[in-house]
Amino acid sequence: MSKIWENYKIDATYDELMHSGIQPRPVGHSLCQYLNSLSEEDIKQRKTAAELAILEMGISFTVYSDEGNIDRAWPFDIIPRIIDTQEWHAIEKGLKQRLKALNCFISDVYDQQLFIKDGKMPSEIINSSKNFLPECVGMKPRHNVWANICGSDLVRDENGTMYVLEDNLRVPSGVSYMLENRVITKRIFPELLENISILPIDDYPAQLQDMLSSIASEQSKSPQIVVLTPGIYNSAYFEHAYLAKQMGAQLVEGSDLIVDEDECVYMRTIEGLQKVDVIYRRIDDDFLDPEVFNKDSTLGVPGLMRAWKAGNVALANAPGAGVADDKVVYAYVPEMIRYYLNEEPLLPNVPTYLCSDPEQLAYVVEHLAELVVKPANESGGYGMLVGPHATAKEVAEFKKLVQKDPRNYIAQPTLSISTSPTLCKDKLEPRHVDLRPFILQGEDTFVTAGGLTRVALVKGSLIVNSSQGGGSKDTWIINLEDK
Amino acid sequence: MLSRSAERIYWLARYLERTENAARLISVHMNLLMDLPKGVDMGWQQLIRINSSEDLFFKHYKVANERNVANFLLVDEKNPISLYSSLIYARENMRTTRELLPDEAWEQVNEMYLFVKSNLDSVNNRRGRVIFLKEIMEGCQHFTGLLSGYMSHNHAYRFIRLGRNIERADMSSRILELAMLLLGDSRSSEDRQYESILWRNILQTLNALLMYRQQVRSRVKGDDVLNFLLRDTALPRAIACCISDIAGTIEKLPNNDGLPEKVAELHKYVQNIDTDKTTQRQLRKILDDLQSRLGSLHNDISENWFLVSEIAPSQSQEQTVEAG
Repeated sequence: MSKIWENYKIDATYDELMHSGIQPRPVGHSLCQYLNSLSEEDIKQRKTAAELAILEMGISFTVYSDEGNIDRAWPFDIIPRIIDTQEWHAIEKGLKQRLKALNCFISDVYDQQLFIKDGKMPSEIINSSKNFLPECVGMKPRHNVWANICGSDLVRDENGTMYVLEDNLRVPSGVSYMLENRVITKRIFPELLENISILPIDDYPAQLQDMLSSIASEQSKSPQIVVLTPGIYNSAYFEHAYLAKQMGAQLVEGSDLIVDEDECVYMRTIEGLQKVDVIYRRIDDDFLDPEVFNKDSTLGVPGLMRAWKAGNVALANAPGAGVADDKVVYAYVPEMIRYYLNEEPLLPNVPTYLCSDPEQLAYVVEHLAELVVKPANESGGYGMLVGPHATAKEVAEFKKLVQKDPRNYIAQPTLSISTSPTLCKDKLEPRHVDLRPFILQGEDTFVTAGGLTRVALVKGSLIVNSSQGGGSKDTWIINLEDK
Repeated sequence: MLSRSAERIYWLARYLERTENAARLISVHMNLLMDLPKGVDMGWQQLIRINSSEDLFFKHYKVANERNVANFLLVDEKNPISLYSSLIYARENMRTTRELLPDEAWEQVNEMYLFVKSNLDSVNNRRGRVIFLKEIMEGCQHFTGLLSGYMSHNHAYRFIRLGRNIERADMSSRILELAMLLLGDSRSSEDRQYESILWRNILQTLNALLMYRQQVRSRVKGDDVLNFLLRDTALPRAIACCISDIAGTIEKLPNNDGLPEKVAELHKYVQNIDTDKTTQRQLRKILDDLQSRLGSLHNDISENWFLVSEIAPSQSQEQTVEAG
């Protein structure tokens, strides 16, 4: 074993690369062999090369802070996270199943609400949902798909079981970093990729383009697709520009678009107005159309909802799709799979306590210090409590919050989520990781090979969000049979 | 092409040209000083004056000496037309139009930005400054070459050419103005004998010395240089050449209503400047006039193709005011 493993100690948690002790899992054999051939100096050089590449390629994300918005270089860990192909194919099936069920649910919610009528879910959950948009009732997007792009977060517990932690159905981000991470790995470990067979990921932009074409309202041969961004100050602006570029689509801001008297959407070009068929919007529902939602929004396009409802433009994801992106609704996904698809869920949910239920609330309040408590509607890891890591004061504050607004909170047991070797200074140490694959559904369904692995760079931390000190890794789906 | 993208890409080109010009100007001014005997005052202050930024400069600095002026024009973020500011704006405009340009072009601008950012102090001494300026001038040329070789010569490319040439013509006129100022200041006969050194340096600033020699085939004389830099249509940094390039570009853009005629008029105006019969004072007035005509051409371009300001306050704020 090379010196870089000196500090590698894994306890009861599941490690993605190693068995207990320092024995690689079968899938990690080649990677370990390679890492062992590197000296501390070698690995330091690779790290520097990666940092330089990130800086020069300008891979960045924006952090909001009191001192203004800072454009930060993307934090990247050079050691890839690996998954076996066989396991991956099972996960992939589970993800497709899940998104199909979720889309059936959203269609149902804006139609007859049979799921509720059949007693599978209390109607208050929808009635009190911030993300349920009455304006969308009766709409029928093409293929009956509302959430065309989904980023689900997966975590693995100490027994090695993969759970779905949440489904991001609004404007999930991260896919560009997944793609760029692979570009960097190819630059810094070219010799390693010679000997290991991993699934390619770079057809995502083409798949995205196909999916977006498949939802165009008129079947023109080449629909005009645009990516609608809130602009340069958005934390994911890099990604918006990246995807537009990869698809050869126009990157537009709200002010570039208008809805004309014919209720069609046009963009302002140097040649005059040009019709837009599909909008991949990276703006939240609330800001989409000041005529209908937030009246002060300057990011959106007045009249966009009229155009969408008239069927003149397709929006991905459809407005209102967020109704299923709610941590309370999440608890019902396994039931949705059984109800709509008549199948057993292939991927388990993390057990979830709904604070809206008095009995469950009582349990949560009692056991706050052991649980993870999350607001139903936030993203980015904000406003949550990790019980075992919190101070008594924080726990007390959360108790009040939860009791005041139980509908808005859920709780889950604190999972001991898996670790993966991560370069800390010049040694490898285990750090907690999750995985965000991206699933597309239009006419067909597609799942990225792997996804974005996020890693909590701080020792012991479970929070992987880039806005809160998380980093990312390249994710390799390794084909063992291919060797 | 989106109107907003056209606007940003046009400004990207202007700011990069401005970056290169700032580097060129300081570089040649340093050379000029090294050629002149001590005591001949070809002041640094004039560099501030031709950029119309005296007020701003004296708000932050007491003396217009070499160190302060170089600092102000190269790396001072408080100066909206400093090299560093121009590069920051160029990068910002590019960050919002990355989907239209080759990756290598973005990486080139980004690398220059990172270079300047980490070498701000190096401009305080002449040696460091020489290396700094060389890096920037080469970087800008690299960018131009990249686009010329890697990018379709489409509408986006045309807006780059428009921005570059308007900025370039503007800067060339300011450099001629600098020559007038320096000549006007050097009243004594002793100073007069350095006139040809001055003109040679002006030619060098615009990379025109070799071409001048080939074209004019006489020793460097003030009137000839002026004529060459104003009216030659083949030298890239001559004003007439910039204007012909603008004319050719506008011709190929859609919805160019009325613009070709305006550019033709501007071209005629430049060709009719009679350098033999004008005094230095008159010439300075003509150059001023030329700058405001270029400004009004910019306004026409903006009204014609870019987003009208009713809905795009953030974009217009992003750009600094027309220099001058």
